[in-house]
Amino acid sequence: MSIVIKQREPSRLPSKTDAEFDRISNLPGHVIYQILSRLPIRDAVRSSVLSRKWRYKWAKIPCLVFDNHCLNFSSQDQSFIKNKLVNIIDHVLLLHNGPIHKFKLSHRDLLGVTDIDRWILCISRSSIKEVVLEIWKGQCYKPPSCLFNCQNLVHLELFNCLLEPPLMFKGFKNLKSLDLQHITITQDVFEKLVSSCPSLERLTLMNFTGVTHLVIDAPNLQFFDIGGIFEDVSFLNTVHLSYVSIGLYVNIDNEENDARDNSSKLLRFFVNLPHIRRLEIQSYFLKYLAMGYVPSRLPNLCVDLNHLSICIDFDDLEENTAALCLLRSCPNLLELEMLARPEEQSSMERSTNFWEEDHWSSLFAHLRLVKVSGISGVKSDMDFIKFLLSNSPVLEQLTVKPASQEGEWELMKELLRFRRASIYAEVIYLDP
Amino acid sequence: MSEVDMAVIKPEMMKSYIWLQTADGLIQQVEQEVAMFCPMICHEVIQKDMGSSKNYAISLPQRVNPAMLSLILDYCRFHQVPGRSNKERKSFDEKFIRMDTKRLCELTSAADSLQLKPLVDLTSRALARIIEGKSPEEIREIFHLPDDLTEEEKLEPLKNTTDDPRIRLLNRLYAKKRKELQERQKLKNIEVEEERVDDRSVDDLLSFINGDNGDSKGIKNSKSKKKNRRRKDQQKNTSANEAIKNHNKEPNGLNQVCHSAEVGQKVRAGVGATSNLHDVEDDIFDNKNEPDDGDIDDEIDPALKEKIDREVEDFARRLNSDWPERMQEILSFGHERKPVHFSLNGNGSLRRYANSEQR
Repeated sequence: MSIVIKQREPSRLPSKTDAEFDRISNLPGHVIYQILSRLPIRDAVRSSVLSRKWRYKWAKIPCLVFDNHCLNFSSQDQSFIKNKLVNIIDHVLLLHNGPIHKFKLSHRDLLGVTDIDRWILCISRSSIKEVVLEIWKGQCYKPPSCLFNCQNLVHLELFNCLLEPPLMFKGFKNLKSLDLQHITITQDVFEKLVSSCPSLERLTLMNFTGVTHLVIDAPNLQFFDIGGIFEDVSFLNTVHLSYVSIGLYVNIDNEENDARDNSSKLLRFFVNLPHIRRLEIQSYFLKYLAMGYVPSRLPNLCVDLNHLSICIDFDDLEENTAALCLLRSCPNLLELEMLARPEEQSSMERSTNFWEEDHWSSLFAHLRLVKVSGISGVKSDMDFIKFLLSNSPVLEQLTVKPASQEGEWELMKELLRFRRASIYAEVIYLDP
Repeated sequence: MSEVDMAVIKPEMMKSYIWLQTADGLIQQVEQEVAMFCPMICHEVIQKDMGSSKNYAISLPQRVNPAMLSLILDYCRFHQVPGRSNKERKSFDEKFIRMDTKRLCELTSAADSLQLKPLVDLTSRALARIIEGKSPEEIREIFHLPDDLTEEEKLEPLKNTTDDPRIRLLNRLYAKKRKELQERQKLKNIEVEEERVDDRSVDDLLSFINGDNGDSKGIKNSKSKKKNRRRKDQQKNTSANEAIKNHNKEPNGLNQVCHSAEVGQKVRAGVGATSNLHDVEDDIFDNKNEPDDGDIDDEIDPALKEKIDREVEDFARRLNSDWPERMQEILSFGHERKPVHFSLNGNGSLRRYANSEQR
């Protein structure tokens, strides 16, 4: 026996020699978890057969992701895949042995709601910090009430869910980021949810049902991104809000609303956004802002606003007025983007140039970068570009992208002719 | 690049330097802004006022040897410059990461001890990329991991799910095959010793390989103990014998054989006799029983044994080839009562297993 040992030593055996070369197994725990977390869950679990040391390393990874990339099935049979998926997740959760900080479930074939309830119960017991739940198919999923007990939650992301927290729900004290898309939630619940999460910094809300008046009461909110159908939006107590992107996906009828309410939406919108830095007004939101009284300039200038993106119908007088008000109110604007929204009814060509007269100097004093897209070369579009070029002394780049090839040549010819206030200005024409 | 070189490049500028000492005693000077990019060094300088002179050199953690330090400083030197674009940084990172895995692991360790999180992220991503999609053997090869898990342990999670004897048979067959392949590989590597190795029992070799401290005698003893236990346990034995008898008559009987663990072992034992391979970790299934349990041997007709052998090895080879898929299937199979997922690229024998009756 001893002879054999001596002879065997030089070969590759699990002896000292291997231990010297094995650099990876003794890396600190948190580094191993980082490495394993970056693997698809399948590879991470498989690491348990590598060697004695690796046997239970995977069981402590704090991050469990079950999505299309991690779990790929070649079969087409729906129920087969579903069963397999449920099995695998059950196994992993059962064999996992440590705190779970991040849980993501986003597989396109996942349907079983009772299974998800069970998994959420499991993770809610282990100080979960991030939950991403995306239900691709099937009807709205209602997360169980144990989800609302996760007081360590920092990030919650739901897709295609119905939110109905229990009555005793007092909010997520640590929640910093909330991302709700395709969700159903009532007005009260939404307001309560937002206001009861004092640490909330990021709020994303897309395609929601059930909320018509958005009241945002979030003292630490910095990032706000919504897109959907609503009637009203107002910010209470959002001093730190610096990034706002709002898209109103439905065309509102101006005349009807004017009669009812003469207050200025524009003024109300900006009254609580003193430090806004990036603003994106998408879809029909400018129309909403144009409702009511529109001043020539906001009383409090948005001095921090560097980046403005507006989706506008250049033929609409109210919208133009609102846009001009905005442009006058951000003296430090660096980048501007105008997206021309094609309207169904083509209004007759205006004889007057809306943008012609401007008695305010020092508009666009710092504007460097402009993008105009979706235009069709009609007078109203070109008037704006002309106005822009002649009033931006430090402009570096103007990018123009038409909506279609129709009238391209005319557009380009006109573009060529416009005077430029900035000698550095490059006018770049992009193909539609 | 030594500190002297660095001084020459910018002779006019009054640069301040930080003194660093690696675990081996080597002291070097590094530009302040480069060194301060590491949080740990930064902390030492600011909180403890170290590093200002040779005598007060900051002693770096043990995991940072001079080679790693130089790599880390290269990284810091590039990234601490504020004007670089994201694209530049990314492309630097891509090139920086290209090194053998051993150094990559060392670098990860060193960066972690200096709390340089971006570099730890970069290296762990690279390591994950290396690991992803590879088979356990490949990973062990790359990282020099010892294959020190017993076959049982490797497949333990599967056992948790159910006591399905078919899985156990599968596990054992697979384990046997893997051991066989490994052993062949190891034997190939040692040409000189080959002769002598053959003299020894393969048993002993395997027990040594697997870190088993017992010698062959010990194994024999335990085996005999096991045997005694088995003898006492009449019921199991008789059923085993019966099952094996059935097995002789028709291969379908193998299904019934599956129904008890020990019978399963005996089948394996029978099979094992034809190859040089023994699985020693598990006392339960070992070949030494074979010559002793002469009665069992007699039960199996040699010709039939050959046939069973072939079938089983075929089966095991198929397992071997698509292990990952097998793992997944088994995970799900364990829960399901229907045999649907168990079908392999079948020959008749395999399907037979699949169609067996449930308990």
